[in-house]
Amino acid sequence: MQEAITTSPERSPSTDEVDPIDPAIRIRDLDFLYGSNQVIHNVSLDIFPKEVMAFIGPSGCGKSTLLRCLNRMNDLVDGARIGKGSIEIHGVDVHDKSVDVIELRKKVGMVFQKSNPFPKSIYQNVAYGLQIQGVKSKRVVDQKVEESLRKAALWEEVKDRLNENAYGLSGGQQQRLCIARTLAVEPEIILMDEPCSALDPVATGRVEELILELKHEYTIVVVTHNMQQAGRISDRTAFFYLGKLIECDRTKKIFLNPSKQQTEDYISGKFG
Amino acid sequence: MTPEKEKRHPFVTRLTRERVQESIMFVLLRGMTFFVLFCAAFLFWDIISKGSSKVFEGDGLINWEFLTEHPQTLHVIGEGEDEIKLSSSNYYKLKDEKVLNKWGDFRKSSEYGSARKELDTRISRLQNEWAMESLLVADEKFLVRERENAANKFAFWKEMLADPKTTAEDFEIKVEDVPSMVTQFMLGHFEKERGRLSLVDEKVTLFRATHYPKIENLSPAHAEEVEKAYLAFLAKIPEAYNQSMAAFGAEVTTSYDEFVQTEGPKEFGRFAEALVAYSAARNVLLGQDHDLKNWEALEASLAPFKQAMAVSLPSRDYAYSGGGIFPAIIGTLLLVIGAMGIAIVLGVFCAIFLAEYGKAGKFLSMVRLAILNLAGVPSIIFGLFGFGLFVIFLDWNVSLLAGWFTLAFMVLPIVITASEEALRSIPQGFRESSLALGATKWTMIKTSVLPFAMPGILTSSILGVARAAGETAPIMFTAAYAKRSDLPWEGLEHWTDFFFQGVMALPYHIYVVSAKIPQNAYTADMQYGTAFVFLLLVVGVASLSIILRNRLRKKYRW
Ligand SMILES: Nc1ncnc2c1ncn2[C@@H]1O[C@H](COP(=O)(O)OP(=O)(O)OP(=O)(O)O)[C@@H](O)[C@H]1O
Ligand SMILES: [Mg+2]
Repeated sequence: MQEAITTSPERSPSTDEVDPIDPAIRIRDLDFLYGSNQVIHNVSLDIFPKEVMAFIGPSGCGKSTLLRCLNRMNDLVDGARIGKGSIEIHGVDVHDKSVDVIELRKKVGMVFQKSNPFPKSIYQNVAYGLQIQGVKSKRVVDQKVEESLRKAALWEEVKDRLNENAYGLSGGQQQRLCIARTLAVEPEIILMDEPCSALDPVATGRVEELILELKHEYTIVVVTHNMQQAGRISDRTAFFYLGKLIECDRTKKIFLNPSKQQTEDYISGKFG
Repeated sequence: MTPEKEKRHPFVTRLTRERVQESIMFVLLRGMTFFVLFCAAFLFWDIISKGSSKVFEGDGLINWEFLTEHPQTLHVIGEGEDEIKLSSSNYYKLKDEKVLNKWGDFRKSSEYGSARKELDTRISRLQNEWAMESLLVADEKFLVRERENAANKFAFWKEMLADPKTTAEDFEIKVEDVPSMVTQFMLGHFEKERGRLSLVDEKVTLFRATHYPKIENLSPAHAEEVEKAYLAFLAKIPEAYNQSMAAFGAEVTTSYDEFVQTEGPKEFGRFAEALVAYSAARNVLLGQDHDLKNWEALEASLAPFKQAMAVSLPSRDYAYSGGGIFPAIIGTLLLVIGAMGIAIVLGVFCAIFLAEYGKAGKFLSMVRLAILNLAGVPSIIFGLFGFGLFVIFLDWNVSLLAGWFTLAFMVLPIVITASEEALRSIPQGFRESSLALGATKWTMIKTSVLPFAMPGILTSSILGVARAAGETAPIMFTAAYAKRSDLPWEGLEHWTDFFFQGVMALPYHIYVVSAKIPQNAYTADMQYGTAFVFLLLVVGVASLSIILRNRLRKKYRW
């Protein structure tokens, strides 16, 4: 499993271009360690613009860790570090000294497994990203809040209660609010770590629809334990096992005709 | 069937070890809890029952005097049921009132008329010989008032008398008024001299008696003469003093020049010494030819007036047992507010560093250990520390500022530990989502951690409030005065003085009243009343912060 796995992506349905294009995210030979515990082993992977990439694999295989590497959320963890290799976003190594992690995170947004809106009003939640950037104009913020909520397919449901506490929303609405909050800072890439694992099927359906909608504009990486979900929403799927990337290919191929035995075993439920 | 057989089923109760233990433990647990409850109830009942009577006594429901007055001496008049308790201010007000009433009654009475007549005849009989002063003394405060006027105008008189060109009209006075006005001035001077040197009291009287006629008919020519005589009189005083000292004995070493620097017999030496010196001086200074009989007769005729002025209001006096504790309430409030302000700012900053920035390691655990140990340090040690550092080394003296910092350091461990706990209880998700939206670490803390941790921080601070308000030892050396008549905002020369003044405080007041002055039923009242007010205050402050906390909680629920 030493060579990089870079199958050409299934292009997003809107275009029919076939030429290889620059990847949005390029991971090369990445080792990652928590202290002395190596949890990612030599992973190389490309993620292309405006595609939905799904990460699957058994619990503890390092999906979240890899995802959090992409916008350097792991900086927060004591002792977490890159062993070797690199992550490039639009050709820039994210760990380069010249990279401002604040700017990086604005471009690479993140939605977490547990929906965690701030205990403030719906409006303030969405406006948060703008306000910390110092946007003062009420008109601009209002406009952006509406736009983001519309994109997150939440506007119709909350437009009359923007000033109510976000915790009055249902779980699914809260998760979509978190997505809207992320959209408001205008990222190019959105990372989602099991965004639907705490939601019921109906709410899950809404979020999935939203992801399919968003992929016209954003590059999306989503971690999921739900095989059907990966099948429904992703263009390509990467399967990890014990910190190693086993296989990455078009979703259809992974599910119908995986090239690795481990992948097939996992998908068919033999382990994991 | 025997009864034994009856019991033979699988669930029969048996007295096993565990069962016995179980029952003993239950009794023990319940007993101890009840014991604690009983002690607490007794404590509160003791304070409330004994203290509330002080706060709720009086005609109205609330004893406002106790809450709004300064501490004063308590004057108790009468015994048992008819006992009247008066604080100093009320006692003297009553006394003055009584004097005025008595005086008024006296003036209306026929007794006054005859006394007055008697006085007048005596004065007119003495007139050629004796000063008009007797009349002035008799007629209330006339002398004092006039003397003031005379002192102000003397410069004019002198100038006017010296300069032949100026006329009295230039000064808008009648010429015939001038001599009497100068007379009054001279009399004023004599009074002053007498006050300063009560040793030579009689000499002054004598001088005045001999020169009175000239003073009365003062003209420019006379003025010179009287002044000369007056100066001579002044020059003779040291001589008289030495004479009197000689009569007193050889032990007195204070020279006249030293003596006039002091402010009267009390300062001059031991009071008894001064008294002896006075009587000795009196004998020496009295000329043999001077007849005192007339004076004595005059004084005797004054007796009814004196009697009218004297009102006896026999009372037993108890220091610190009257008045109220207003300055102590204010002082404690100021101390608590300032100390908590400092402690919360310092504590929250420390806690933020420990919880958000500090990386787990030796340093951090050492800091935590230090903070925990700080919490165990006895409060008297904080008092000494504050005294050494703030009062002596930084030279803040006994002041609010020193008290604030000392108390703040005392409650700091509570605030830091609890704030850190509150910060750590904020879900990690808030921090991560904030950072993922492009916040810097400080922005993240400021916008999505600290506001939500505030209810927790406030809750913990309530504990600190009660401790800061209640401790005596830390403020004993650093901020508390046993008695201070100015309120903190009174008598400030510059606004910064506010921070460098000592204040009274409730716990220290309780300490002073119960340990520093003679004990009696009235001080006990005071003590419990203060404790009760203290309790109310702490409950008040605590409920305020609880309300604030609940509001914040409602705002930031998740
Ligand atoms: N903060 C951390 N410190 C130390 N080790 C960690 C930390 N977070 C994760 N790990 C370890 O890293 C490995 C990968 O964890 P990760 O959370 O990436 O797995 P995952 O694939 O997301 O699992 P799941 O599907 O259960 O979320 C695990 O063995 C885990 O114990
Ligand atoms: Mg995970």
